[in-house]
Amino acid sequence: MNNLMIMEKTNLQRPQNHKQGAEIPSEKDLEIAADSVFDKFFLEVTALTIFTLRFFKEILKPPYEFNELMKQSFLIGYRSLSLIGITGFIIGLVLTIQSRPIMVKFGAVSMLPAMVAVSIVREIGPVITALIFAGKVGSGIGAELASMNVTEQIDAMQVSGTNPFKYLVVTRVLAATLMLPLLAVFADVLGLFGSFAGVNLKGDVSSYLYFSQVIQSLEFKDLFPAVIKTFFFGFAVGLIGCYKGYYSNSGTEGVGKAANSAVVFASLMVFIIDMIAVQITSLLQY
Amino acid sequence: MTVPGNTRAHAHRIKNNGTAVVEMEHLKKSFGNNHVLRDMNLSIYKGENLVVLGKSGTGKSVLIKCIVGLVDPDEGKLVILGQDIAELKEKELVEIRKKIGFLFQSSALFDSMTVRENLEFPLRRQVHGVTKEEMDSRVKEALQNVGLSEAIDIMPSELSGGMRKRLGLARTLILKPEIMLYDEPTTGLDPITSKEISSLILKVQKIYNTSSIIITHDIECAKRTANRIVIIKDGICVAEGSYTDLEKSKDAWIRSFFE
Repeated sequence: MNNLMIMEKTNLQRPQNHKQGAEIPSEKDLEIAADSVFDKFFLEVTALTIFTLRFFKEILKPPYEFNELMKQSFLIGYRSLSLIGITGFIIGLVLTIQSRPIMVKFGAVSMLPAMVAVSIVREIGPVITALIFAGKVGSGIGAELASMNVTEQIDAMQVSGTNPFKYLVVTRVLAATLMLPLLAVFADVLGLFGSFAGVNLKGDVSSYLYFSQVIQSLEFKDLFPAVIKTFFFGFAVGLIGCYKGYYSNSGTEGVGKAANSAVVFASLMVFIIDMIAVQITSLLQY
Repeated sequence: MTVPGNTRAHAHRIKNNGTAVVEMEHLKKSFGNNHVLRDMNLSIYKGENLVVLGKSGTGKSVLIKCIVGLVDPDEGKLVILGQDIAELKEKELVEIRKKIGFLFQSSALFDSMTVRENLEFPLRRQVHGVTKEEMDSRVKEALQNVGLSEAIDIMPSELSGGMRKRLGLARTLILKPEIMLYDEPTTGLDPITSKEISSLILKVQKIYNTSSIIITHDIECAKRTANRIVIIKDGICVAEGSYTDLEKSKDAWIRSFFE
């Protein structure tokens, strides 16, 4: 279904200028147009694809919004550090405490640091970080852009001679894409410290011994795919947050819906991307 | 301050001596089956304040959004400052838009920025090579012109409704536009503040020599600011004249706006 057909089906004419190039129906239009849940899903996926294509088109066109990108990277990255760090530490601690009895049962307690390290670095660290990121950053972006939409700030930006898509969407998606991998690595490191604390709750393992075991157990094939997939997680969270906010319905209800659906949709995308990444990694025998 | 006045003579003088800064012929705009602008023909002359009246949903806001480029018309001719919009490339359109100021109904202030940053934003985006001193001076001048000098470093959330309108106006005026578009400038304000905003519109007309379109439901505002008034019904301009002409119209529906 092409762009024009979407517009015809949703009974929506050429929208406002800042939305040109991404003639995307709002949720309300989708509800009117969609005859079934399948139709609605199909229209939503098509609309998101158009939005994504516009992102890649705008990212290449000057002028480049470096200052705003830096600002958003700070807001998205630095301000998420404490939440991500605490969560990572607790995950490492809890995973170790929960795993210890079964490892003792099989006489493999000495493998505990290696088991926890591989689990955290390969899967739990990136996925948990991405889910928290979707909750904090995805919903924040969705609500912020929806609120700007409702209060005509996006229109005002365009009237001020600024391309709002480039200024608001491109910078936020890029910042989310670049910051999530750093946050995931940070969460992994604190997760390992949490695990070290967990090991020492019922044992006495020196930090040297613990981290030696961790480093020996980790290989490049554990780290590389895990880091690569976090770029995709970040991109998905940023893009969906922006899409939901930028094209939200009018009114305060639209702001709440945009924030909520950004979290739900972004979290779902994280699992889908993870599933695909695991399949690709298996195929490449990583 | 000399008030240009809303007399029939003044409106006549502007219309006959002035150049049209905005001309629209057979302008049409629909949203699905909702035909908002059906056949709009209108001219705005240099230096005049044109007030647009009409019931809600008759296309008043869409009309000014077409002029500023937030909405693209489906059909018809739109000439702004002598240039046919349909024939312009994107860069030329941006240049034209720089000469148009728009005061939004909600003021549309960037609530993550301070008052100063709100004013600096359009300057940074549209005026290349502007120095910090020049920016500072223009910010202070714009705030002074709307009587908000003391609010320079506070957040928009700390401002009252009237102050937000004035700040929205200052943000627009900082680029010294030739055409001003006001979307319900006095909506939601008390009568005293509304009067202040109306006076400000006249002051802007005098200081910046702007041509303005004022969309309003506030008949007092219309009376104070209008050189000419047009009334829109179902996306068509149905009446035009000075305040006094229209107030005494033989048509009861037109008279009802002034009662």
